[in-house]
Amino acid sequence: MKRLAQLLALAFIAAVSSLNAFAEEKPSLIVGAIYVGSVNDYGYNRAMKDGLETMKKNIPGLKLIEAENVPETGDAERVMEGMIQQGAKLIFATSFGHQQSAFNLAKTHPDVFFEHAGGWMQAPNFGNFFGATQTAWYAMGVAAGKMTKSNTLGFVVGVPIGYAIGNVNAFELGALSVNPKAQTRVVVTGGWADKAKEAAAANALIDQGADVVTMHVDSPATIIQVAESRGAMSIGFQSIEARQLAPKGWITGLGFSWGGFMTATAKSVMDSTFKGGMVRQGLGSMLEVAPFGASVPEDVKKLVTAAADKIKGGYNPFTGPIKDNTGVVRIAAGETWGNDKMGKFDWYAEGVIGKAK
Amino acid sequence: MTAALLAGVVSSAILSAVSLVYAGLGELVSERAGIVNLGVEGLMLIGASVGFAATAATGSPYLGIAAAALASTLANGLFAYVVIGRKANQLASGLTLMFFGIGVSALAGKPFIGDIIQGLPRIPVLGLPFDVLTYLTVPLAVLLWWLLFRTRWGLALRATGESPAVAFAAGKRPEMLQYQAVLIGGCLAGIGGGHLSIALTRTWAEEMTAGRGFIAIALVIFAKWNPLLVIPAALLFGAAEALQLQLQAAGINLSPFILSMVPYLLTLCILAFWGWRRQTAAPAGLGRTFLGVE
Repeated sequence: MKRLAQLLALAFIAAVSSLNAFAEEKPSLIVGAIYVGSVNDYGYNRAMKDGLETMKKNIPGLKLIEAENVPETGDAERVMEGMIQQGAKLIFATSFGHQQSAFNLAKTHPDVFFEHAGGWMQAPNFGNFFGATQTAWYAMGVAAGKMTKSNTLGFVVGVPIGYAIGNVNAFELGALSVNPKAQTRVVVTGGWADKAKEAAAANALIDQGADVVTMHVDSPATIIQVAESRGAMSIGFQSIEARQLAPKGWITGLGFSWGGFMTATAKSVMDSTFKGGMVRQGLGSMLEVAPFGASVPEDVKKLVTAAADKIKGGYNPFTGPIKDNTGVVRIAAGETWGNDKMGKFDWYAEGVIGKAK
Repeated sequence: MTAALLAGVVSSAILSAVSLVYAGLGELVSERAGIVNLGVEGLMLIGASVGFAATAATGSPYLGIAAAALASTLANGLFAYVVIGRKANQLASGLTLMFFGIGVSALAGKPFIGDIIQGLPRIPVLGLPFDVLTYLTVPLAVLLWWLLFRTRWGLALRATGESPAVAFAAGKRPEMLQYQAVLIGGCLAGIGGGHLSIALTRTWAEEMTAGRGFIAIALVIFAKWNPLLVIPAALLFGAAEALQLQLQAAGINLSPFILSMVPYLLTLCILAFWGWRRQTAAPAGLGRTFLGVE
């Protein structure tokens, strides 16, 4: 069904664009983008969409071709191929599972440039980008640690991959830095987008006394709305627009801000200086702290902003000694875990209630 | 097990079970009339997406539930025409209905993804924090039991499920009864799906039922085709899902990967314990096509 709908949509796009070909001026650059879900998810895809819109606004005459709900299968290759047929010279493959499809096309179309979110493959016309989220989560922990009254924080994790565990750990380290009694309880749902389980997980955490709930799943919408309906506070992730979902309980959130990078990439394609490579940037470039909710007092805002500035200034919360939650020292005194180690977490830091494997 | 954990498991088990109770009761009525419908998953999705869309458009969760019920009733009307009117194979038609439901719900829900809705409110009754659909599950199960086992209509419907030819010989109209049963089934599956999107998650996402339609079909077998037993059976499935998440939140020292197997282990244990008894067998005419009598 999905496949058929996509084919029809592509055929429609093709038909419409050929009709318009005579009327329109030649665009300065045609950029293609594929999303794994809907861009209205208040989450990962929305953040990508917002970044691409910023790029479009920054570069006059740029034309954007988009496709939503593109599965992480061979279908993605056909959708992107269609975009290339329409003249796309730069393609953003925005989901982790789109990597191989995009890489295949990069080999057969050396004159088209590709940027993929979250992967590792590289070629002269194929680059990778992502936000260094782990260290930035430290600032979210500061916010949660100051706002909680029960000293219990809830964290819903989709799939406990190393990067997600790193987010949880930095969150707890940040909370502990301002509140030595803060504990983070983790619930794993087993999928990035099982809405009913996300609702049940958020309810479970609130039942266990959590008064601040946060998450690492594709779309924060369900969990934030459950927290709001039960009078709990929430911290968002992926898109800062999620704050609209919780007018009462919103504290702050961590959102991707891809606009600057995408604009620079499009410009580099236009003046033939595309570099690709593997780009990982944190707060201040690819990540931003969302606006604070109405209930957040001034002193908390200052502390969170100061923590975010400290991270921007190069502070790394994963500096030893750091123990896991069974008491074993995992990062020795004097040792620091950098970006290359962020996928390697298979343990929760002291203060986190949960089991990683 | 602490009191807080127990209370948490019970309340989230109940919330997870509500959609299963409605869809399961709907399938039960349909199967009692001899029609097996494998398309419940699709019907629930149609209910979830149309219900969410109607809630977003009108601002009223109650109108949303009504729209969910209506949309799935109409969709199941198509199924009824195909399997009763055109006498098509029920299993194949049911699976087709499921795929139809996946597609239609995606199409209907697309413009409403990300809308913020006023969810079905929780109304405290005697200290219980649930929504009106949750409270209505027990009266509904009792009502259906009464209709099926204590009224002439119910007798005729069950007779149709056992042997349409005999029901016909007794002066009943088997096809009319089957139409009624299937439409009731569609209506209830739609309400179940609506509860998922309007009350439980307040979100619409494609394929958000994640297999709950098939669990509803399994429930009917567990409940031995008795409406009153659908509630404990649904609670058991709800509890299994709630338990794995609540145990994690409570900080039990077990791997999340092991915990995620809990619902299925529990199901296997019940099946092994319960076994299969002759007297619990399905309606004799289930899944057979009534071609009329000479």
